[in-house]
Amino acid sequence: MSSDRFRSVVATEPLVLRVALTVVALAFLGLFLLLPLAVVFGEALRRGVTAYFEAVSHPETWAAVKLTLLAAALAVPLNTAFGLCAAWAVAKFEFRGKSVLMALIDLPFTVSPVVAGLMFVLVFGLQGWLGPWLDRHDLHVVFAVPGIVLATVFVTFPFVARELIPLMQVQGREEEEAAVVLGAGPLQVFWRVTLPNIKWALLYGVILSNARAFGEFGAVSVVSGHIRGQTNTMTLHVENLYNEYNFVAAFAVASLLACVALVTLVAKSLVEAVEGFTRRSGSVRGGRSSA
Amino acid sequence: MIIEVRDVTKTFQATAALDRVSLRVETGELLALLGPSGCGKTTLLRIIAGLEVPDPGSGKVLFNGEDVTGTATGRRKVGFVFQHYALFRHMTVFENIAFGLRVRSRATRPRKPVIESRVRELLRLIQMENLAQRFPRQLSGGQRQRVALARALAVEPRLLLLDEPFGSLDARVRQELRRWLRRLHDEIHLTSLFVTHDQEEALELADRVVVMNEGRIVQIGTPDEVFHRPATEFVMTFLGNVNFFPGIVSDGSVLLMPAAEGHATGRYYVRPHDFDLSLAPGPGSLSATVVRVHSAGPQVRVELRCPGKESFLAEISQEQSRSLELKAGRNVHVFAREVRAFPVDGGAVHA
Repeated sequence: MSSDRFRSVVATEPLVLRVALTVVALAFLGLFLLLPLAVVFGEALRRGVTAYFEAVSHPETWAAVKLTLLAAALAVPLNTAFGLCAAWAVAKFEFRGKSVLMALIDLPFTVSPVVAGLMFVLVFGLQGWLGPWLDRHDLHVVFAVPGIVLATVFVTFPFVARELIPLMQVQGREEEEAAVVLGAGPLQVFWRVTLPNIKWALLYGVILSNARAFGEFGAVSVVSGHIRGQTNTMTLHVENLYNEYNFVAAFAVASLLACVALVTLVAKSLVEAVEGFTRRSGSVRGGRSSA
Repeated sequence: MIIEVRDVTKTFQATAALDRVSLRVETGELLALLGPSGCGKTTLLRIIAGLEVPDPGSGKVLFNGEDVTGTATGRRKVGFVFQHYALFRHMTVFENIAFGLRVRSRATRPRKPVIESRVRELLRLIQMENLAQRFPRQLSGGQRQRVALARALAVEPRLLLLDEPFGSLDARVRQELRRWLRRLHDEIHLTSLFVTHDQEEALELADRVVVMNEGRIVQIGTPDEVFHRPATEFVMTFLGNVNFFPGIVSDGSVLLMPAAEGHATGRYYVRPHDFDLSLAPGPGSLSATVVRVHSAGPQVRVELRCPGKESFLAEISQEQSRSLELKAGRNVHVFAREVRAFPVDGGAVHA
């Protein structure tokens, strides 16, 4: 069935209305997405390429980039592992408290990041529950790198699990059971059956959670303490520079983040395209296929 | 291999899926577990495979006299064909069939060429040599079913278990595959159990049929036995069409008089094909009016009604129907050749 035939039946609105709606949508898109993006790059390059590279290669900027990379490099694998476990448990088994676990997984989506950051300060800060103990052992969490990693882990927590749960629920347990009956051990089942079936969704979740790790501001801002060259992530660094009226540098760092976003978009569409292709390739023959 | 299930009970959230079930399957037998959905037949199959465990302390599963109740599924050497086949969707047909051999530990894993020739052999058996590189989604339902079977057979199981093997196929493919499976079984003589809710399938395919209801085994017997000598009312009504006449029947001889005052009380069943129709009354006959005649099919099905009673169904041959000139509204006399009576407290009485 061609989509053209559908359109001719469904879309009966007059031409004027269709054009008007399209224009409104495009204008909205331009105003709120494309224009800001253009401004970021425009402002960053206003004093020329040299100024841009000077801003980008400033040691404090580099420190911020490295810290952001470190936080992402720790948070993304952690949440990938956690997301896999949680999705596996939720999708393939029945147990008490499953709905509580589901709600907990969603918690970082529903709690404001600032509140999350505050939570960590209250637990790990000097006046917090664990603060005195940590201080005695000379461990620093809040206003130090571990706090930033923790905050990043918290806000990127649900992405992988959320991506995997619906897929794994649809796929059910039969393939794993078949593998077990055929003599496969638990690890073989995971590597040979479970993982190949979810790899694209997993990759998609990783990309999203990586993007979030780079872009996080609120939670990190609360626990960071804004110590230049030490606890400043890229987003925080942009804010600092902007508040100091150092617009070129601020927008230059912002343009780096924008590039990360663009790369993410491309990667995401690629994953979607590949996934769609592997799912579609080869038509299903025979009228009634198994559910 | 001889399979024994002894006194197995399985409870899911306070409801008993199986209630003290015992069963013995002989070597080389093709056995059907038959019953309505929710009767526990799939649970029983999964317990034999080791995919479910019996309630603690409730019973045992024995393979050739050896207790396997605590043995891991993978060590039981059973082949299992799932209802929706559960083929590995990201593997080709070839890889699906080879899976069970490839996951073996290094010591017991056959060498590559051996695996390859084994898979080729199985592909020949299921007549799908040309489709080895296809993915499951590129196959029809019947082809998927055969791949699932080949995959199960690849590990040379001691026992083959099939869960609703023809459940999601259309009628024609189902017929074909059923006959193919029977031929295959006659060739390789692998002890096999299959679950079905389709009585026709069980009766046609199996050496023996186990009829289950509400977590218990109601009757075990050859297809002939369970069809012609049902042990309970449930078996009688579950296997094939029946007419039910509550309560009243005349004495001893094979008479049926639902409308008349009778002596014996009980519950009476007559299969539609056990009726004779005639235009003249005879001893023990029953006067009835034709309500409707369905003549499309090998037999003519006649819906009849005695005055003031529920209508019932008779099946007669096409010739008989023509010679009686049956049509709605016509009065006929009905004889029952065989009536099955069940006293109210269960158990069969042959009338």
